[in-house]
Amino acid sequence: MRKHLLALGAALALTPCLMAQKIGVINSMSGPEAPIGENITNGIKLAEEDLKKKGVNVQLVWEDDTGKPQISMSAMEKLATRENVVGVVGPYTSACSNAVAKLAEKYKVPLLIPAAAKEEITRQGLAHVFRMNAPADKYASSLIDAAASLGKPKTIAFIYENTDFGTSTSKTAKDYVVTKGIQVVADVSYPKGSADYRSTLAQIKSKNPDLVFMVSYVADAILLMRQSREVGLQPQAFLGAGAGFTTVEFAKERAISDNVISCTQWTDDVNWPGAKDFGARYKAKFGKEPTYHAACAYASMIIMAETAKASGGDRTKTRAALKSGKWNGVMGEVKFADYDGFTNQNNHQMLVQQIIAGKYETVLPAQFASKKAIYPFPKWK
Amino acid sequence: MAVFLQSLISGILIGGVYALIGIGLTLIFGVMRVINFAHGDILMVGMYLTYMIFTLLGIDPFVSVLITFPLMFLFGGFLQKVFINRVLDALAQNQILLTIGLGLIMSNTVMLIFTSDYKILSTSYSSATIKVGGGVSVSTPLLISFLITAAITAALYWFLLKTDTGQAIRATAQDRDAAQLMGINVKRMSIIAFGLGSALAGTAGALISPTYYIFPQVGSVFTLKAFVITVLGGMGSVVGATLGGVLIGITESMSAVYISSGWKDVVVFVLFLLVLLFKPSGLMGKSRT
Repeated sequence: MRKHLLALGAALALTPCLMAQKIGVINSMSGPEAPIGENITNGIKLAEEDLKKKGVNVQLVWEDDTGKPQISMSAMEKLATRENVVGVVGPYTSACSNAVAKLAEKYKVPLLIPAAAKEEITRQGLAHVFRMNAPADKYASSLIDAAASLGKPKTIAFIYENTDFGTSTSKTAKDYVVTKGIQVVADVSYPKGSADYRSTLAQIKSKNPDLVFMVSYVADAILLMRQSREVGLQPQAFLGAGAGFTTVEFAKERAISDNVISCTQWTDDVNWPGAKDFGARYKAKFGKEPTYHAACAYASMIIMAETAKASGGDRTKTRAALKSGKWNGVMGEVKFADYDGFTNQNNHQMLVQQIIAGKYETVLPAQFASKKAIYPFPKWK
Repeated sequence: MAVFLQSLISGILIGGVYALIGIGLTLIFGVMRVINFAHGDILMVGMYLTYMIFTLLGIDPFVSVLITFPLMFLFGGFLQKVFINRVLDALAQNQILLTIGLGLIMSNTVMLIFTSDYKILSTSYSSATIKVGGGVSVSTPLLISFLITAAITAALYWFLLKTDTGQAIRATAQDRDAAQLMGINVKRMSIIAFGLGSALAGTAGALISPTYYIFPQVGSVFTLKAFVITVLGGMGSVVGATLGGVLIGITESMSAVYISSGWKDVVVFVLFLLVLLFKPSGLMGKSRT
């Protein structure tokens, strides 16, 4: 019996070197967040292929959190204790990521969050939680800086969904505009999935703001812009923070989406190594343009898998290697640093883009710009 | 003042569509005493049907109601005949489980076929408006759908009050056993009622699609809303559901402006609780003993 156990132990000790690196993925594959979750899934699938080509063998354990924090947490428990993964990439939404982050710390599993924006996630001093994308404060500051450099806005109205992502993004934005001398004239949160925002928008219109700052996921973005046009809301610029304003579906609605300014973590205009190639291959494989979520997820999986392999599948070593490592890929230079109260946060360069003639064009920063920005927002037709 | 009028008008218009959803649910409950948890998903099927008809055949969503209504009627009748009829005498929780199950099958089947991507149905008038004056504008598609809703509701009243079948349905709703003793084919009435309920939900889906967005899980939003409307108006009361729908529409819209968008659901549910506290049978409901 003892011999057997020893043999088994030896075999177990050897397996990490021989076998594929077991990495968990938590993502919103069904539920209301699934349309964006799909980009993350695709990005990770592409990463899996590329890793195989590079000789990094990974075994991915997929968990669907349906966009609910409690399901995300049980997925993490399962990955940490039963599946014994080396590390986890995911989840998508801020609410899920924030819930899972504490569990990652508890079980000492390295967690690499690809695209959740809530600042607090990497502000709790959690040693095992890493984040690829720039947090919410960057969304706000890059957009407002862009508007301030293009015109002279004096007033701003906020409309955002009352989720972690919406409230945290607009909170930092509100703090930021004060430093720029811009006055907040309206501050409205809404529950997502409503069919009618007309009354709220009419109320904002009556305040006549220079800037309208919106934070929404996919479909509400289209609805908000449609109804803004209906009620005749006419600011100098519509600023859309993240998710809903950076999708292909949104750009397709040209009547209402043209000239909206948004910011993103990634576009294929950038000259970061492999970015253009990634965009082309993604489009060929999945038949649509990659969103920033896809690029973030791709880069996250590559980094997690390579680090896991180099660390021989050991969680502690993987964590240390993520902390000390430096990469340069489709997301530009990546380093998980401690700054401004953040822990293990990649200080990522945000890009400001505008929809011009139905296409996302990078307008700022100047070195990546593909078109000149249109300002102020043209009169509604 | 402009803001007040604007929110009142959009509240009434959106409330009209809510009413249509509520009427469907209340009709089904009235006749069968089955709580249809798949109601929102039936609405979702109606949305996808409209989307298909629009993208494949190029028929305008409002015109396609003429196709959606009968198709959804058949779909509802089929559900009733094959599934619901079997559990009419079963425990309430079994009926609920059945309808929840049917709803899950619908939403997941649709997800397999269409993926979970949001579909946006863009017509030439999707964001068109009619200026009323005084800074108030009315969304054209919303106005059209309100008019269609009003026409359908009127036709439904006429059908329920004046036709033999309509009276038989009402008789079945009042007392199933007595109706059967009077020679009414209650099983057939059930099929018609469920068909009508589904057709109304499907139509509501069709009417919302030019202004809303379509995805497989969209149903849950409307299922909850339909329950509030139905219970508020009085379970089984068509007039109550109409009233409840418009009331909820106005409440949502008004509280979004005068309290906060984020609190509008709270206001709706507080109103709902108050009605239940002071008039447990709903606004137009008769208490059943």
